[in-house]
Amino acid sequence: MSDYLQIQNIHKDFSGLKVLTGIDVAVREKQRHAVIGPNGAGKTTLFNIISGRFKASSGAILFKGQDISNTPAHARNRHGLSRSFQITNVFQELTVFENIRSGVRSRSGLRYNFLRKPDNHRQINDRTEAIAAEVGLQAVMHMPVSALSYGQQRALEIAITLSTEPELILLDEPTAGMTREETGRAIRMIDRVTAGRTLIIIEHDMEVVFSLADTISVLHYGKILVSDIPERIRTDQRVKDAYLGEE
Amino acid sequence: MISQKKASYLVIAALFALGALMPFVVRKYHLNMLTEIIVFALYAVSYNLLLGYAGLLSFGHAMFFGMGAFTVAVSLIHIPGLSLWNAVLLAIATTTAVGFITGGFLLRHKGAYFALLTLAFNSLFYAVATKWHRITGGDDGLSITRPDLHLGFTTVKMAGLANFYYLTLGVIGAAIVFCWYFTKTAMGQTVLLMRENEERMKFLGYNTNISRLILFTFTGALAGLAGAFYTLHFQFVSQSAISVDMTTTVLLMTFVGGTGTFWGPILGAFVYIIVQNYLSDITDRWPLFMGLIFVMMVLLIPGGLSQIIQTIRGRFSGKRDTGKPVAAEESPT
Repeated sequence: MSDYLQIQNIHKDFSGLKVLTGIDVAVREKQRHAVIGPNGAGKTTLFNIISGRFKASSGAILFKGQDISNTPAHARNRHGLSRSFQITNVFQELTVFENIRSGVRSRSGLRYNFLRKPDNHRQINDRTEAIAAEVGLQAVMHMPVSALSYGQQRALEIAITLSTEPELILLDEPTAGMTREETGRAIRMIDRVTAGRTLIIIEHDMEVVFSLADTISVLHYGKILVSDIPERIRTDQRVKDAYLGEE
Repeated sequence: MISQKKASYLVIAALFALGALMPFVVRKYHLNMLTEIIVFALYAVSYNLLLGYAGLLSFGHAMFFGMGAFTVAVSLIHIPGLSLWNAVLLAIATTTAVGFITGGFLLRHKGAYFALLTLAFNSLFYAVATKWHRITGGDDGLSITRPDLHLGFTTVKMAGLANFYYLTLGVIGAAIVFCWYFTKTAMGQTVLLMRENEERMKFLGYNTNISRLILFTFTGALAGLAGAFYTLHFQFVSQSAISVDMTTTVLLMTFVGGTGTFWGPILGAFVYIIVQNYLSDITDRWPLFMGLIFVMMVLLIPGGLSQIIQTIRGRFSGKRDTGKPVAAEESPT
């Protein structure tokens, strides 16, 4: 079976501290895959390794059949992989438009050009506007990030992640810190904007997970406890013991 | 109402026109000074692309300035019949190569390490300029005669100041305008975005190491061009052109003018040269006073002269100044 993203026996230790101890996950194309697990289970570390922020201590990552384990982050992005951050990681001093355009023009190959101005590029600017509209930020498009509400900043985080038109999207707790109502809205938006693409999402909110994902992997102390469809995860005794039982 | 874009071009055209009138208006002494100001303005602008736009504090910018200055002098002395254009092009080529090679070593490090390494490299180049007497003239320096300018259809005598002033205004002025344009291009904006959040840029497909190397090389070449004209202007170069003092000079100009705007360092160069000339006329201890002025500026107005001007402007228009160069966003038409 040729999987779209294959995570093979990933280990990660930070100077002796073993955070991931042999992770194996396979993600199919167009799958909506949630990674759940208690705090400190290593979910974000796993994302950091998939996206190229950290190198795994051992193991391999195959994306579209290609070993990307040693590929730098920027090259993984150009390969079609994009991630968001749990703690909002945007360009604080710039406008929403500039924030989103950074990725849009990167995707168009307008990164290091000494002569062409992004301002004069209608296609790039139109696409930037469209993405802002998709996540509901059109009205504040020309405002600096610092003027946005928390919920809007989280939406921008997703907009930037989408800006390079990724095939595989990694969202790290996109609804962290949101109220119930905001979470509901955010999830509907995420569902809409990631439609037709492969999604891996880290999430704490079980309601969100069960409504969004078609596959769930439970990470527990650096290992995948189980990876299955939501219905079976809900009834799995090991998962209940390790995680769901806590609530 | 005219757009901001058009207004900028009008201001540039007006400045060039004003510059072109200068030889008819001012005395030779001041024309000399103005030529020097233009040369140093490019030096300061190139430095601010590193410091203000990319957030890289370098203590080694003089190695590019000095390398450009020495390349022109050495090549004019040792290559008979070398044209002015080719001497300048050679200076740009050498400094580009030096920028690329040293940048490869330097840019693996960040922050204080980067700053100290640039200082070390600058000292190395300075030592070579001092010791390699046979080529650089050591303490004695090198004297050259400015070659005439061959334009193909005619030859412009460069011995006189006015003609050289026009050449400087044209070439260096154009380079400064290009730097301004550069800040709005894809690469210029990439540099700014990297200063804001380098990590995010990596996850958006930007190779930030290459970007920094390109910028470092580019600013090095610009400083080299300024250095080339420095030698052509004074028809003399000594190891002071490549000394750490020369780095301090550009640091002062940039800080006095302000790193927050594109034109700040130009203003800084202007004020610096004038104050320096004025002070050195009345006392030999002028560096002491320059130092005092610098300390006061940093303590009281860290944003430099451009901050003062922007604050005054802000009072009238109600705009807030962030103290950093911001991404120019001209609403797309």
